[in-house]
Amino acid sequence: MNELSASSRITYRAVMVRPGVARRIRGLSDKTLAWLFITPTILLLLAINIFPLLWTIYLSFTNYRANRANVPTIWLGADWYRSILTDPDIWAAMQVTAHFVIWTVLIETVLGFGLAYLIDKKFRGHGMWTTIILLPMMLSPAVVGNFWTFLYQPQIGLFNYVVAFFTGRAASSFQMLGDVTLSPWAIVIVDAWMWTPYVMLICLAGLRSIPDYIYEAAEVDRATKWRQFWSITLPMALPFIMLAVLFRGIENFKMFDMVNLLTGGGPGSTTEVASITLKRAAFESWRTGYSSAFAIILFVTVFGLANIYVKALNRVKSR
Amino acid sequence: MAEVEIVSVSKAFGRTQALSDLSLTIGNGEFVALLGPTGAGKTTALRLIAGLEQPDKGSIRIDGRDVTGDAPADRDVAFVFQQYSLYPHLTVFENMAFALRAPTRRVPEADIRAKVQEIARLLHIETKLDNKATQLSGGQMQRVAIGRALVRSPSIYLMDEPLSSLDAKLRGELRLELKRIQVDLGATILYVTHDQTEAMTMASRIGVIEGGRLMQIGTPREIYENPVNAHVAARLGQPAINLLPAALFGGAPAGAETIGARTEHLTIARGADGDVSATVKRVEHLGDQSHLHLDVGGRPVVTLADPEAGFGAGDVVSLRLNKPLFFDARGWRVAA
Ligand SMILES: Nc1ncnc2c1ncn2[C@@H]1O[C@H](COP(=O)(O)OP(=O)(O)OP(=O)(O)O)[C@@H](O)[C@H]1O
Ligand SMILES: [Mg+2]
Repeated sequence: MNELSASSRITYRAVMVRPGVARRIRGLSDKTLAWLFITPTILLLLAINIFPLLWTIYLSFTNYRANRANVPTIWLGADWYRSILTDPDIWAAMQVTAHFVIWTVLIETVLGFGLAYLIDKKFRGHGMWTTIILLPMMLSPAVVGNFWTFLYQPQIGLFNYVVAFFTGRAASSFQMLGDVTLSPWAIVIVDAWMWTPYVMLICLAGLRSIPDYIYEAAEVDRATKWRQFWSITLPMALPFIMLAVLFRGIENFKMFDMVNLLTGGGPGSTTEVASITLKRAAFESWRTGYSSAFAIILFVTVFGLANIYVKALNRVKSR
Repeated sequence: MAEVEIVSVSKAFGRTQALSDLSLTIGNGEFVALLGPTGAGKTTALRLIAGLEQPDKGSIRIDGRDVTGDAPADRDVAFVFQQYSLYPHLTVFENMAFALRAPTRRVPEADIRAKVQEIARLLHIETKLDNKATQLSGGQMQRVAIGRALVRSPSIYLMDEPLSSLDAKLRGELRLELKRIQVDLGATILYVTHDQTEAMTMASRIGVIEGGRLMQIGTPREIYENPVNAHVAARLGQPAINLLPAALFGGAPAGAETIGARTEHLTIARGADGDVSATVKRVEHLGDQSHLHLDVGGRPVVTLADPEAGFGAGDVVSLRLNKPLFFDARGWRVAA
């Protein structure tokens, strides 16, 4: 390894660099050169990622309000954290978020993997079907939000009409977005509609990574299709499935745009996921310090969960 | 164990005719080796028997039963794949136990363990049982692939170059082991190989296959001493048979265009009082013997020589033929 990089280093100097330049940078070690190249990127990252994060952490300990920047800020210590963690409204929002994340990820994984499994069988026209299935994922969430607002219209909406057609109840007898029990599911349905294709795509990559000869060996070993699925297909595709779950889980934990468009958190606060609560506190009540603290709590939660999950994922992969 | 019959089977992949009209019967308890150059259709023949490919024409019978349309699982064959085809996410133990673990078979766990350990010891992989299949060297993977077949008692073992990745010592050892197992169990084996030593020492019959056609089938002796054509003759013998124009030597029978001279058909002597004189170009010392590269009237000839004989490059020697093989213009055998 070291020898290899040493020799490639020499080649680079000899081939890539004009003699004059080579003489001038000969004094620089590889390490110095490496730092030279990545420093601009690091500075940029510091400026747009790390600094805001640190600033947010600082603000979360103060009474700062963005709409009253002139008022002197007071250091409050962990007051916000204490009040947030003991606030039942916050816990309600967290529960709504958890409900949303768990159900969407569950439905999207089962449907996505199922679709991938069917598509992978390479029946006639599977290429066209793949493209059609992928369409929702390529739309903008704003478009999808508006589009489903119409579909969910009790009087003219297609969704209500279809449900009415199959169940026999009147189409205008229920409101997907206005009903306390239905609205959380309305959002789950839209998210599943939009993002199942994404999970399918990742699962498909997983299934395609299983070489045919493994199934041939299993055929010869007299494994039934059922056993092949459970002892070859699923375990070998599992890292991919878990990756899809991770991506969708993180994404939906911070879901904002679609919920905001469809219900705005209502009716009441039945669909008020954490990000909506956060947005209200930050940009409607202008409680900047408070919302910073909440944002940090959310960040730590996602970060912690994701970390535990990635550890599990690595264990599965190295199994 | 069972008798396996292949009856006039043909198989094409697109425009490649992989097998044409192949007929072959492997008797119950017989060890048949298929010998042939790369691309000859050896793997295709095994895959057809296993049911991993369907023949375009012809049929396959196992124990008198026509299995041509049957799925691999219904044929009860064990396959050692050329490219191993191990289950990469399973351990060596799980790989070998996989076929025994079928829910319908209900082999007790203790029996599975004992069987896998017995075979693993035989193949010298007993210390690797807990490794994942991907954490092995090529030769170890190949032995796991053999082990995966040997734990079973199928109607036929299909082995596709099962010893090709092993070093010479291990190969020699496993050659003996496999032969011993075959005799002990009375196993039926169809064994594909490039290695003539394996074919000669293990097989009761050798089938020589070339360009998708079975050229000849017979006992190793028959194939070696009585090849039907030059292709078959070139398959066996180390160094390979020397094919020379008949005009170079006198006394060829009518119709013979080519003389096939193996080492044992050539007598070398110093000086120039044989049939033909030759020049030594190069001597390769292999330890117990030497390969002598000669130039005979501009044609290269390779033969064996005793290292004690002390030939060196540049020496002029004479060659005498004794009962060589003769082939006609199209390569078919001509009686002497
Ligand atoms: N799935 C396939 N699709 C197309 N052509 C194939 C396929 N399998 C085999 N062939 C062709 O059929 C011919 C015979 O192939 P086969 O694998 O049986 O050769 P082989 O004798 O096993 O060679 P080797 O000693 O290199 O393994 C070759 O010309 C090969 O290119
Ligand atoms: Mg082959």
